[in-house]
Amino acid sequence: TAAMLKCEMNGSQVKVFGKAIQALSRVSDELWLDPSEKGLALRSMNSSRSAYGCVLFSPVFFQHYQWSTSMKMNDDDRPLNLNCKLGMKSILPIFRCLTSLERNVEKCKIFTRSDKCKVVIQFFCRHGIKRTHNVCFQESQPLQVIFEKNMCNNTLMIQPRLLAEAIVLFTSSQEEVTLAVTPLNVCLKSSSEESMDLTNSVYSEMSVDPDEFDFFQIGLDTEITFCFKELKGMLTFSEAVHVPISIHFDFPGKPMALSIDDMLLEANFILATLADDRSRASSPQSLCLSQTQKRSDLIQSNPKADKSGTSQAPECISRKTAPKRLYSRETPTNNSAGTCGNPPTRRANGASIFEVPESSLSDTDEGPGSPYLRKFSCMFFGAVSSDQQEHSNHPLDSLAIASDSEEDVINGSVSF
Amino acid sequence: MKFRAKIVDAACLNQFTRVSNMIAKLAKTCTLRINPDKLNFILNDKLASGGVSMWCELEQENFFSEFQMEGVSAENNEIYLELTSENLSRALKTAQNARTLKIKLTNKHFPCLTVSVELLSVSNSSRIVTHDIPIKVIPRKLWKDLQEPAVPDSDVSIYLPVLKTMRSVVEKMKNISSHLVIEANLNGELNLKIETELVCVTTHFKDLGNPPLASENTSQGRNPEEMAEVHIDIRKLLQFLAGQQVNPTKALCNIVNNRIVHFDLLHEDVSLQYFIPALS
Repeated sequence: TAAMLKCEMNGSQVKVFGKAIQALSRVSDELWLDPSEKGLALRSMNSSRSAYGCVLFSPVFFQHYQWSTSMKMNDDDRPLNLNCKLGMKSILPIFRCLTSLERNVEKCKIFTRSDKCKVVIQFFCRHGIKRTHNVCFQESQPLQVIFEKNMCNNTLMIQPRLLAEAIVLFTSSQEEVTLAVTPLNVCLKSSSEESMDLTNSVYSEMSVDPDEFDFFQIGLDTEITFCFKELKGMLTFSEAVHVPISIHFDFPGKPMALSIDDMLLEANFILATLADDRSRASSPQSLCLSQTQKRSDLIQSNPKADKSGTSQAPECISRKTAPKRLYSRETPTNNSAGTCGNPPTRRANGASIFEVPESSLSDTDEGPGSPYLRKFSCMFFGAVSSDQQEHSNHPLDSLAIASDSEEDVINGSVSF
Repeated sequence: MKFRAKIVDAACLNQFTRVSNMIAKLAKTCTLRINPDKLNFILNDKLASGGVSMWCELEQENFFSEFQMEGVSAENNEIYLELTSENLSRALKTAQNARTLKIKLTNKHFPCLTVSVELLSVSNSSRIVTHDIPIKVIPRKLWKDLQEPAVPDSDVSIYLPVLKTMRSVVEKMKNISSHLVIEANLNGELNLKIETELVCVTTHFKDLGNPPLASENTSQGRNPEEMAEVHIDIRKLLQFLAGQQVNPTKALCNIVNNRIVHFDLLHEDVSLQYFIPALS
């Protein structure tokens, strides 16, 4: 049988679900539906690989939640997941007018199977009206990102209203914003690089007292610059669920995380930040960045990447360590049934490549009866399967393009 | 050249923000003239605006609790700056619930008007927001083109109807024709007319009243029923009307037959004059 997802929501749950989709639409035009025993994850990554968003709805969020993997195995002897990718253009209009959906919808059912090619979304509304939407999906492995939020030197937690006041300062023409912190002060300001390019732009700056934060921990004085768009998306979502936003970050160049965490759902947006090195092009598209040394390493080891013009792809998120061989075909990497998306715990030569902390390795220990309310502190990045075949068919799906050289294939997880 | 000013009163701040919003709707780029008594927002770029000119004036002491300026020189104690109007109105928008607003001329990499807002947040801590608005200083030799336009001797002077009504009428007319005739007489009647091959539409406003001064100046011989008219670009009229978010305290228009229409408004203590020339 096929991999399957079936879930049910009431009107107010639909509103939150719709808000999540709207927030993710700020990241990119594509959305993955990725069910697992942890719940239903909605994932999105932009084409320049500089922003990633994931909203994970715990099974208890839904009125009813059911999922399964396929009984069929793929070449690597693992069960196939529901690899479901939807176009935002198809799904976003269905979840427009959320206030009226909340009012009118009594029940919403979402159902899909990997052998059908569509997702069926049904709204059972007042007055006996039933609305059915069939959205075709593309089979595609979801991408995920690991990010060690707890390892960041700087963490701020803030009420969304406060951030909303800051957002108003910046004009729509300004794409980048800089967050500057010291233990005594937090300042949000227009990116000075961008201001220099546009001669007529206003430079704005807002300072916020540390007392205004729900949680304030600064271990490293720093200034990071990132794209604004995704912040706005996350902000609207957090206002809708009335949960404060946490910001986790370190030094420029290292990605930052925006997250909200509540008993029923967890949302994480991982954004690339501008590296200190100014030699990059000033286009906001190339806001994916790592230190230049890493960049040149990747380019050398990925001759294909340059030719295909996707040299942006491998560099998007900086890595603390040099790439190592992640796995070979022979190594089973994922046991989808229980631990969908977990990093491989064994490799050919035995060493762990993922620098994943104990807490997430313990995921593999969970049996089917484990509590749903466990929060996870990191999410990891990589294709769910190590299938090389698929990898070459969808080169953009992986963090780095497979190379011919002995240097490695990063078709899997990367941690920071 | 120096300029610093401060607003502490909420009502003054709101009014200043409203003026700035209005200017942003009327002129994309404008000149700000600063002298010891007044601030003026000026548009006199005949070429760029197709002949439209604007002169907005406010008395600085009606707004600012503190005001210091030093012009270009002692004899020419004025400052003329060019700026993008929207930059100022957007900066002021963030000052909605501000405790204080400060504006000053600064030079950070390039000349700026720095707007600095002190906001009081819910947790009672204050937050400072600053905006550096890039500006261009206008040299002395160009000042002569930026003086207050002379009010023309008009043929007819009349009070305007409710601007919101005028605006909705003109908005609909814009879909039919790109130019319009505005005509009025000394009998308190004003008409807006459009004409195409297929249709003529006229909106009549009656009993508007004429300002007393006008009727004195016009020659005894003028028939009160006789209309003075100007053919103008409808979009220019619409832009002017769209800028008036609030109904003014006083509003009148002066028509010089076939030459120009001059709108003279007063929003509480801020005066606005707007000139639309006849289509050639």
